[in-house]
Amino acid sequence: MATKDDSSDGLRFNRRNFLRTTGLVGLAETIAAPVELAAESTPAAVGPGDVPVRLNVNGRQIDLMIEPRVTLLDALRTRANLTGDKRGCDRGACGACTMIVDGRTVYSCSTLAIEVQGKQIRSVDGLASGDQLHPVQQAFCDKDALMCGFCTPGFIMASVALLEKNPNPTPEQIKKGLDGNICRCGTFSRIFEAVSSVKGVQRG
Amino acid sequence: MANSEFDWPAKPSVLGTHINRLDGPDKVTGRAKYTFDINRPGMLYARMVRSPHPHARVVSVDLSAATRMPGVRTALLTRDFSGSQNNRVMFQGDEVAAVAADTEEHAIDAARSIRVEYDVLPHVTVVEKALDGTAPVVFTGGNVRDGRPAQAGDLTAGFGAAAKVVEGTYSTQVITHNCMESHGTVCEWNGDRLMVWISTQGINAARENFASALGIPQANVRVICQYMGGGFGSKAMSVGAEGLMCAKLAKAANAPVKLMLDRKEEHLATGNRPSAASRIKAGVSADGIITAFDAQSWGTGGAGATADFPLPYIYQIANRHRSHKNVFTNTGQQRPMRAPGHPQGSFNTEIIMDELADQVNIDPIAFRIKNLPPEAANAMWRSYLLEGAAEFGWNKRHATGDKTAGPIKTGMGVSINTWGGGGRGPSPAHCEIASDGGVIMRLGTQDLGTGTRTLVAVITADALGLRPSQIRPEIGDTLYGVSALSGGSTTAASISPGIRVAAIKALDALKEKVAPALGVDAASLVAAGGRIQVENDPSKGMTWADACKRIGPQPIAADGEWRAGMSSSTTSGAQFAEVTVDIETGIVKVTRVLVVQDCGLVVSRLTAESQCYGGVVGSLNFALFEDRILDRNTGQMLNPNMEWYLLAGMSDIPRIEVRLKEQPERGVIGLGEPPTVSTAAAIALAVRNATGVTMRSLPLTPARILGAMRLGKG
Repeated sequence: MATKDDSSDGLRFNRRNFLRTTGLVGLAETIAAPVELAAESTPAAVGPGDVPVRLNVNGRQIDLMIEPRVTLLDALRTRANLTGDKRGCDRGACGACTMIVDGRTVYSCSTLAIEVQGKQIRSVDGLASGDQLHPVQQAFCDKDALMCGFCTPGFIMASVALLEKNPNPTPEQIKKGLDGNICRCGTFSRIFEAVSSVKGVQRG
Repeated sequence: MANSEFDWPAKPSVLGTHINRLDGPDKVTGRAKYTFDINRPGMLYARMVRSPHPHARVVSVDLSAATRMPGVRTALLTRDFSGSQNNRVMFQGDEVAAVAADTEEHAIDAARSIRVEYDVLPHVTVVEKALDGTAPVVFTGGNVRDGRPAQAGDLTAGFGAAAKVVEGTYSTQVITHNCMESHGTVCEWNGDRLMVWISTQGINAARENFASALGIPQANVRVICQYMGGGFGSKAMSVGAEGLMCAKLAKAANAPVKLMLDRKEEHLATGNRPSAASRIKAGVSADGIITAFDAQSWGTGGAGATADFPLPYIYQIANRHRSHKNVFTNTGQQRPMRAPGHPQGSFNTEIIMDELADQVNIDPIAFRIKNLPPEAANAMWRSYLLEGAAEFGWNKRHATGDKTAGPIKTGMGVSINTWGGGGRGPSPAHCEIASDGGVIMRLGTQDLGTGTRTLVAVITADALGLRPSQIRPEIGDTLYGVSALSGGSTTAASISPGIRVAAIKALDALKEKVAPALGVDAASLVAAGGRIQVENDPSKGMTWADACKRIGPQPIAADGEWRAGMSSSTTSGAQFAEVTVDIETGIVKVTRVLVVQDCGLVVSRLTAESQCYGGVVGSLNFALFEDRILDRNTGQMLNPNMEWYLLAGMSDIPRIEVRLKEQPERGVIGLGEPPTVSTAAAIALAVRNATGVTMRSLPLTPARILGAMRLGKG
């Protein structure tokens, strides 16, 4: 699961910063991975071809027949018509696909649907209750924290996760918490204002 | 054009106020449907096959394996490669074939299975090798093309009058548009009628593209773009090979097809900002007048595309000469990118300005003012520089080189900008008012994310005395009429007059229906605060809802058109930047940016300010991060993604202050390009002020900063 490091304590590197700083993350992971795998018992093979996958998305059960390689993002977008979350880079760099899985943000473009069975998945599609926007969504509207809006669902989900973990973040914590998302229109100042203005998000 | 009933109001009710973006709720909930989100019954997914080589001859393409792959419905060549005329691919990412399958995963598999035999040919991707003649000649007529030289005054006399002379080589890099939503299309045929959803800056131009390329009447093509994830110029040209292949695959498969490019394709094949370099020699008199400016410039816009930019930028120099070379390389073609030419011209001009100012010991702002064109409504730099300097605390700026102890150095820089923009017709708008009080404003424009939909509602509401939320803007569909493509900051100035004219004409018709009931002359009525009433006499009036009940079953309908006098062109602006530079690591942090910018009449303040915030961030990316890096030997792009193609994140964003300078008497002008022109130069000059070392090339990477400091001290 492509968990985003959304720790807002400002001490740990998030993925973007880590990549920028060292340039070695991919290398380290590929070297380490086979050793760990060998030590574990081999899981039962599934696929190729469609396999049943049961997802719990926004409190609703979704049953799909999909190939094991299908990502969480594509499973929801192309098989369940939940098109709110977007694909920008398709490799866990831009954050447009951010969803919340068991309380943690993930890059859903780099998370297999089959990996997150049995987990509570939240996408932007399920955040508002009818016409009642979530306080984060309302703040984005009030502060004009969006332009083209394509990155917005990812920023919203990252902000919700941040505030559920830490309802009163410092400016530094907000910046660190949202560093895994990119906005090409350049609305960062207003996203920062919007997230700073949100009050009353319940700790998740 | 004075005293028309359509003139912009002296006391607007909604214009120029902070109005929440109308489609905000749709965007924050994910309900907004972008082309990427369109899912049609029985829809197939398509994938392109592209040349991995910068230059090659296509010997053969075998689609047969692909057509036997699971789920594949059809595969097509982008063109006939069998002849000798048209069988070369000219850049990495050049289009060869496309395939459609039942799932995106199957389409990807099938695209990989298409076997293309290439005869790899020598390529030119390094500009310097093209210029010095060591690269193979790839392009018929040569890799290097002379641009038109420009000359004024007497260069020899100018240098003769100079007290000091500065020479340097300046350059900016190729960057890519990198829209969050990739270029993409959904096509669905119904007989010989084609329905298209496409991420485009011009739905009407797209309709023409599809019809002419497919040989069907334009009347048979309907193009929709309700929401799009950014364009920045890259979606303003044509529907591209990918758009046409989507339509052809849909026809061949007899099913709707979605074709979205992936991130790598975006970088390689959908446009870029050309590089821009110059070797400049400039002379300055002891009292700070630039006496001579001699420049040789060059740049690459890719395979067969030019790379021009204004030089010198804005400043008035009596004696000048400039020659230019367009260098053709085996790389994807440039497309207009937000203020095409201007960020490059700004950087290539502004750096030497501070070098010249230092030579004659004049403050950079005073020096700029000495060399500006005369002040005018569309050339307000002197005022903006002085106002900005006071606001920014320019008097606290130290001379070149921060002398304080420790590794963190601080500096300030400034630069100016201009852009034409402006409005023109035909740009019709259609207004309907229904008996239920509903108002539709309908026009065939599109919203790139700038806030066009909101602007439509704001102007209409202002004219009708309503709130913007009471207006339904209908845009983004060729059924809604003809409108120009959105590019060059022309949309607001082109569509705003027609919207106001249509709304006022519709209101006039409503007044005629209301006047008899009130026993007054229609001309005495005004619309304000949700009422139609006699001006200054609310007792003789009625609510909007009651007024509209008199309309009857057929709505009021009125048309408007762009009018001269309600828009104008050409903006001016100045930007200030403050940075810190860690001289041990070379890392630059931009701490503050001040934007002083005019745009004529401010229609929608919140979205106008957002354009400025976004422009600054785009230019900061240009200054510090973005770079299309090509391998010198293979010509391959090394960072066609979003982790090695660096872009600013939240922690990189400075405090940005925006001062919109109001010029309501000039009408609507447009604001998309101006704020993204000059931040990069201001940042580079702030780095120079901090470190004492002149940075003449972008991007300002830590390696470049450290390298320049080492040289500067050596």
